[in-house]
Amino acid sequence: MIVAERKPFEEIKSLLEPYQKVLTVGCGTCVAVCLAGGEKEVGILNAELKIARKLEGKPIETGAITVERQCDMEFLEELDSMVDQYDALLSMACGAGIQFLAERFPEKPVFPAVDTSFIGVNRDVGWYEEKCRACGSCVLGLTAGICPVTMCAKSLFNGPCGGTNKQSCEINVNQPCAWYRIHERLSKQGRLKNIMEIHPPNDWRNQAPRTIIQPGYEERLKAFNGK
Amino acid sequence: MSQPNTTDMQKIETASNVLVLGGGLAGICTAEAIAAQGYPVLLVEPGEAVGLKAESRPLNSYSQSEKDTLNKLVEQVRSSENIEILEKTTLSCATGVAGDYRVWLSGQKPLSEKQVGAIVVASELIRNPLNAAYGLEIGGPVITQTDLEHALASETKKFTGKTVAFVVGFGQSGNPLVMERVLRSALELAQIEGTTVYVYVNDLKVAAEELERLYLKARDNGVLFFKLSQAPVIETQENGISITYSDPVILRDISAQADFLVIEEAMEADSANAHLACLLRLDLGSEGFMQTDNVHRYPVSTNREGIFVVGGSRQVKALDQACMDAENAALQVRRLLGDGTRLAPANKAVLDIGKCTFCLTCYRCCPHGAIYWSTENKPVISLIACQGCGICASECPMDAIQIGEFSDKAIHDQVQKSMANTGKAPNIVAFCCQNSAQEAAQMAADFGIALPEGLHLIQVPCAGKIDLDYILNAFVQGADGVLVMACHPRNCKSEHGNTYARWRVNDAQNRLSKAGLDKARLSFVTLASNMGSEFARIVTEFETWLRDL
Repeated sequence: MIVAERKPFEEIKSLLEPYQKVLTVGCGTCVAVCLAGGEKEVGILNAELKIARKLEGKPIETGAITVERQCDMEFLEELDSMVDQYDALLSMACGAGIQFLAERFPEKPVFPAVDTSFIGVNRDVGWYEEKCRACGSCVLGLTAGICPVTMCAKSLFNGPCGGTNKQSCEINVNQPCAWYRIHERLSKQGRLKNIMEIHPPNDWRNQAPRTIIQPGYEERLKAFNGK
Repeated sequence: MSQPNTTDMQKIETASNVLVLGGGLAGICTAEAIAAQGYPVLLVEPGEAVGLKAESRPLNSYSQSEKDTLNKLVEQVRSSENIEILEKTTLSCATGVAGDYRVWLSGQKPLSEKQVGAIVVASELIRNPLNAAYGLEIGGPVITQTDLEHALASETKKFTGKTVAFVVGFGQSGNPLVMERVLRSALELAQIEGTTVYVYVNDLKVAAEELERLYLKARDNGVLFFKLSQAPVIETQENGISITYSDPVILRDISAQADFLVIEEAMEADSANAHLACLLRLDLGSEGFMQTDNVHRYPVSTNREGIFVVGGSRQVKALDQACMDAENAALQVRRLLGDGTRLAPANKAVLDIGKCTFCLTCYRCCPHGAIYWSTENKPVISLIACQGCGICASECPMDAIQIGEFSDKAIHDQVQKSMANTGKAPNIVAFCCQNSAQEAAQMAADFGIALPEGLHLIQVPCAGKIDLDYILNAFVQGADGVLVMACHPRNCKSEHGNTYARWRVNDAQNRLSKAGLDKARLSFVTLASNMGSEFARIVTEFETWLRDL
C-alpha cells in the first residue's frame, strides 16, 4: 500500500492561513490503513486547527468527510454538493488522491495535509517499511523476492557496491545490505545462477508520467472515450 | 446513529469440548474435573505418556501411598469415556475465540483440526539444579535433589553410615515445593541406620500445608538444620566434601565433612511456555509463567477468555494447589460454556464493516485476542471474548467500532452538554476509567469532599477508550483543562488500556503545544478505586492551577 505521514502542523496551518471555512477530506484506503488520513485523523486535525486558530483570534470552521478512495472520481462525487460552502479543501489522501480532488474541483484551492512517503508494508500498528519504488520493471523473480531498486541505497542491479559492510549497508549499520541478503536467500534456495549474468540497466525513461490501459480494455477506452 | 438498546442480547453457540494441554498430574486432575462437569475433554501430552511420567516432580519424591492415589487417578482418566487422550502430540496452531477455538494438533496421527470451546494449559515445571551457584560440578559426591530421590527409591544402602549434607536457599530464594522435597528426603535419610543428615538452609520456606510438621518431624528424627545467612564454602576432596560456614550463634567458622552433598534444584517455568503463549496469544508473565499479575482476574484466567492456566503454567505449585487450580478451571469452563449457548450484549462492541478498511489495527491492539478474521476475510469481534475495554475502537482509524453505551457520539454529546451551562469556574473535563477513577470520584462525592465547581466527569469503560480526538475536542468545546484518569501502571483490567491512554496523552500534549496551548492543561494521572481523597486533591490542585493561569 501507499504510506504517508501527516505534515507538520505548522505547515498545514500556514497553508490554510487565508481561509475561514475548510473541508478536510480523509481517504478510507491506504492512508487510513497507515493511520495518517482516515476518519480518525480528520477529526484530530480539525480539532488541532480549531484550537490553534481560536487562540490566534482567527477562528476557523471545518467540515469533515472521509471518502472510500480519493483516487476514484465516483467516490469524489459525494463532495459535489458540499464544496461550495468552503473556501478551501484539505486532503489527507496520498499525492494521487489530492490531485484527483483538485481536478474534480478546479475552482477550489486544494491543500495536502500529508506527505506521501512510499509504497510499503505494515510491520505492526504504526510501523511501515518501504518495499517498492514502482520502477515499472520488476526483477524480484531473479533477486529472491528482495528488491534491489528499493532496498539497495544505490539501486544496483548487479551485486553490492564496495560499501557493503559485514551484512550492512554503508549508509547505516542498521540497514541490511540488500545484495548480501539476496545472495544469502538465493544460495539457500540453490538459485545463485540467477544473478551470475549481468542484468541490463532499467529503462529509467519510463519515469515520465505513465498511463496504463490494461490489456483487453483498449477497445472499451476507444468505445467510451475514457468516460 | 440510533442509540443501541443496551438490553439487546445475542445468543451465541459454544462448542462443548475442552482441550487440556499437558498430561502431568495438574493436567490429569483438570481433565478429570472438567469431564466430571459433563464436557468432553481432549487431553494432549507431548511426552510418552500422561500421568506420573509427564509429571515435573520426580515420581520418587512422592510416598508410596501418594503414588497409589495418583496412579488410581491416572487409571480413572484413562478409562473415562469423556476423556480422549493423545500422547506424543503437540499443539501446532490455534485460532478463534472462546467458545469456538480451532486447534491443529500434530503427533502420532497426522495433523488434525479440532474445534474446542475452551483450552486449559497445564504445563509442568522444570527442575534446574543450582550447582553453578555453589561453584560445583555435579558428579561423584555432589548429587542433585533428583539424583537423591532416585537413589532413595532404589539403593538406600548406599547411605548407610554416611553423612549427607543439603544446601538450599542460597542459589534461589526458594519456595515451599523445593523445601518439601528437601525435607522429605532428609527425613527419609535420617531414618536409615547410622546416617547423619545436615541441612544448610537460608530461609526455611514452610508456608504450605503440613510442611512445618514435616520440618519438626525431620528435626525429631535427628536431621540437623543450620540456618545461615550466607552460603557455606564447599570444597570437594578425595574422600568427600568439606563444608565451612560461619555459625551465626557461636560466631565462629565451623568446618564439617560429608560423604554426599545434595544440591538444591529450582522448580521453574518451562521455557516451552513462551512458544505456547505465542501460539495462544497469551501474555507471558514474570519468570516465564503464562499469566500476568492482574488483580482483576480469577486465579486461573488469562488475558484471553476461554484459555485458562493451571499448576505449573502459572506459578510454582505443589500438587494439592494444582488440583485446586484444576477445580477452578472446571468452574470457569462451566461458566463459559454452560449448556452450549451463551447470551452476550449485542452492542458490546459493534463493528461497522462498511467503514472498516481491514487495516488489522484492532486485531493487533486487542489485549484479549477477541478479534479474529472470519473465513470471508472480515474482522469479527467475539461478543464472548470481548471485555468491552474499547482500545480497538479508540485506535481504529475509521471510527468503525463503537462500544456499547460508550459510542463516540455518546461521549461527544456528554462533553458538549457538560460545557453548555458553565459558570466562571474553570471547565475541567475528567475522563475517568470506570474501574478506578470513576470509583474514586464517587467515593470523594460520598464522603462529601468538596470538588471543583467546573468539574465534568466522563465515564469510560477503560482508559484505553479515551480517543485522541475526545481529548482534543474537549478543548474545542471549551474545556480549560482535561484530565485523563487511568488505573495505576500494570493494574489495568485490560492489561494495556492505561498505557495506550498515556501514549495518547503524550501525543495530544505535543499536538496542543504545536497548536499554541500550554500542554500542562492536559494531564495524565493514575489512581486506584479507593483513592477518593487523592482524586479530590488532584482535581482541586488542577483547578487552582488553571485559575492562576
